[in-house]
Amino acid sequence: MIELQNISKSYRTDTIETLALQHMNLSVPAGEFLSIMGPSGCGKSTLLNIMGLIDEPTEGRVALAGKEVTNYNGSKVARFRNEQLGFIFQSFHLINDLSVVDNVELPLLYRRVSGKERRRLALEALERVGLSNRANHFPTQLSGGQKQRVAIARAIVGRPNIILADEPTGNLDSHMGDEIMDILTRLNQELGTTIVMVTHDERMAKKTHRLVRLSDGERVS
Amino acid sequence: MLSHLLKLMWNKRRANGLIFLEILLAFVVLFGVYAFGFYNLDRYSSPLGFSYANSLGVRVDIADDLDSLASIELQRRMVREVGALPGVASVSMLGPINPFGGNTWRTGSDDNGFDLNTMMVFADEHFAETMELKFRQGRWFTVADGAGKYDPIVVNGKFIDQYYPDRESMLDSVIQINGEKKIVGVVEDYKYHSNFAENMPLTFFTQQEYNPDGTDPFEQLVIRAEPGRTAEIEEPLYNLLTDLTKNTDVVIWNMAQDRIKANRPVVIPLIILISISAFLLINIALGLFGVLFTQISHRRAEIGLRKAMGATPVEITTQFVLEILIVTAAGLLLGTFFAVQVPLLELLPIPDRFFYLGIVAAIVTIVLIVVLCALIPSRQAARLHPALVLHEE
Repeated sequence: MIELQNISKSYRTDTIETLALQHMNLSVPAGEFLSIMGPSGCGKSTLLNIMGLIDEPTEGRVALAGKEVTNYNGSKVARFRNEQLGFIFQSFHLINDLSVVDNVELPLLYRRVSGKERRRLALEALERVGLSNRANHFPTQLSGGQKQRVAIARAIVGRPNIILADEPTGNLDSHMGDEIMDILTRLNQELGTTIVMVTHDERMAKKTHRLVRLSDGERVS
Repeated sequence: MLSHLLKLMWNKRRANGLIFLEILLAFVVLFGVYAFGFYNLDRYSSPLGFSYANSLGVRVDIADDLDSLASIELQRRMVREVGALPGVASVSMLGPINPFGGNTWRTGSDDNGFDLNTMMVFADEHFAETMELKFRQGRWFTVADGAGKYDPIVVNGKFIDQYYPDRESMLDSVIQINGEKKIVGVVEDYKYHSNFAENMPLTFFTQQEYNPDGTDPFEQLVIRAEPGRTAEIEEPLYNLLTDLTKNTDVVIWNMAQDRIKANRPVVIPLIILISISAFLLINIALGLFGVLFTQISHRRAEIGLRKAMGATPVEITTQFVLEILIVTAAGLLLGTFFAVQVPLLELLPIPDRFFYLGIVAAIVTIVLIVVLCALIPSRQAARLHPALVLHEE
């Protein structure tokens, strides 16, 4: 499902070149729930961004869902992201001026889905994360755990093959973190969605199928 | 997408209140300026009906103690001798209503149930030639007309169009205007107040109407000079007229300059209004720029999120332009509601079409400015890198 071959990423200023990832190889089969761990600045988020096609590698090849996507750009990459990928962020990134259900509908807006169908799919996704009773609330009226559940509903509403979660439990207490992990595990098991999760929490990582460790931009296990 | 943006803008209505008010205010001002401007442009574009080029106006003071015969003779002498001056092409005498003079005489009469209201101009038999009036029908009155049963008059086209629209010809018809008068000619427009004056029903009368007993002579002349010779005839003209009238109270003016002065009461307010509008539009443009840049800097994460969710750069640009257009549309809708009340309730004596034109022009101007101002910040937003902005918080 996800194939990264010899991926390197460097950031260049006038005087300094920083290597974020070095010759990284990673293969994630369909249906796997993979966690990535490592100290701050080791390149976890960069790796996730490259998998999510929101950042480009300096070197290497990326293939997602059986397609070579390294050279995708413009509207092609946007369409691919929209159809194949779902994102979950540590800080939720909900739009406070939109209701919960409108936030969940967001990915479908860029897929030319009718309003009625959007609403049906959004409510279905909210039902799956146990928040259908909060559909018309606004994000400011929700707890952190609820916000992250909305973000998960938003990530799954378009039925993507891959979900990329960047520290989804990082801003939550352990109880709420467990709840979020349960939902992600269930999605993985019930829908067969491939999930790649970056985390700092060893306990959460242990709940996934496989753990990959990074250090200084290199894979160490 | 539109319903999504409508919802978003409704939920952000407080934040967008100021832009809404700004648009509404700009619309109201622009609507007024455009309606006033179009109305006056229409007036300006309709012909004066006479020529002011190479023309001089002159006012003399004829002694009160002259009897009627002597004053009439003096008038004739003035026309004759001024006409003989080198460089003078034509000369005419007229009563107190001179082109661009600012005076108005009106009269109203009942003509067999018709209520005829007309402006009055008194002139001699040379006036049409000197002013180069254009005739729709008939001719100017002559000295011989004075011997007829009815005093001759010449009316303008507006007079016929307003009071006798169904009559094929009113030539030689006798109508009641301050007594029985015979129409001998119909001229086209005669807007003597200024280029911006309304073309009103108007009647030219002979000196007989102005001064039946002959004791009150015409004291104004219009002189058409040969092209380019107005300046050179002023001095001999002054000398001749002071000599003939035995009075130094002779005032000469250039009719082209008089026209500019006569237009000022409209031109100056129009320039002021256009300047205020331009200043307002610049302010709106700068305000919108500022507001959009601020909004975009506050919404960087949202932009990154939308891009991560599959929005293309074009969709991001379109979203921000549409957002501001939605607020603009709300301001314009309310503004249009107020603006249409002006023609519907007939609040001002201006034809309705100018208000509707003003509404359309104000909407087009504001939408153009808004789109232009929104494009640069919106395109900047579309270029934001999602990987960067999503990790800024």
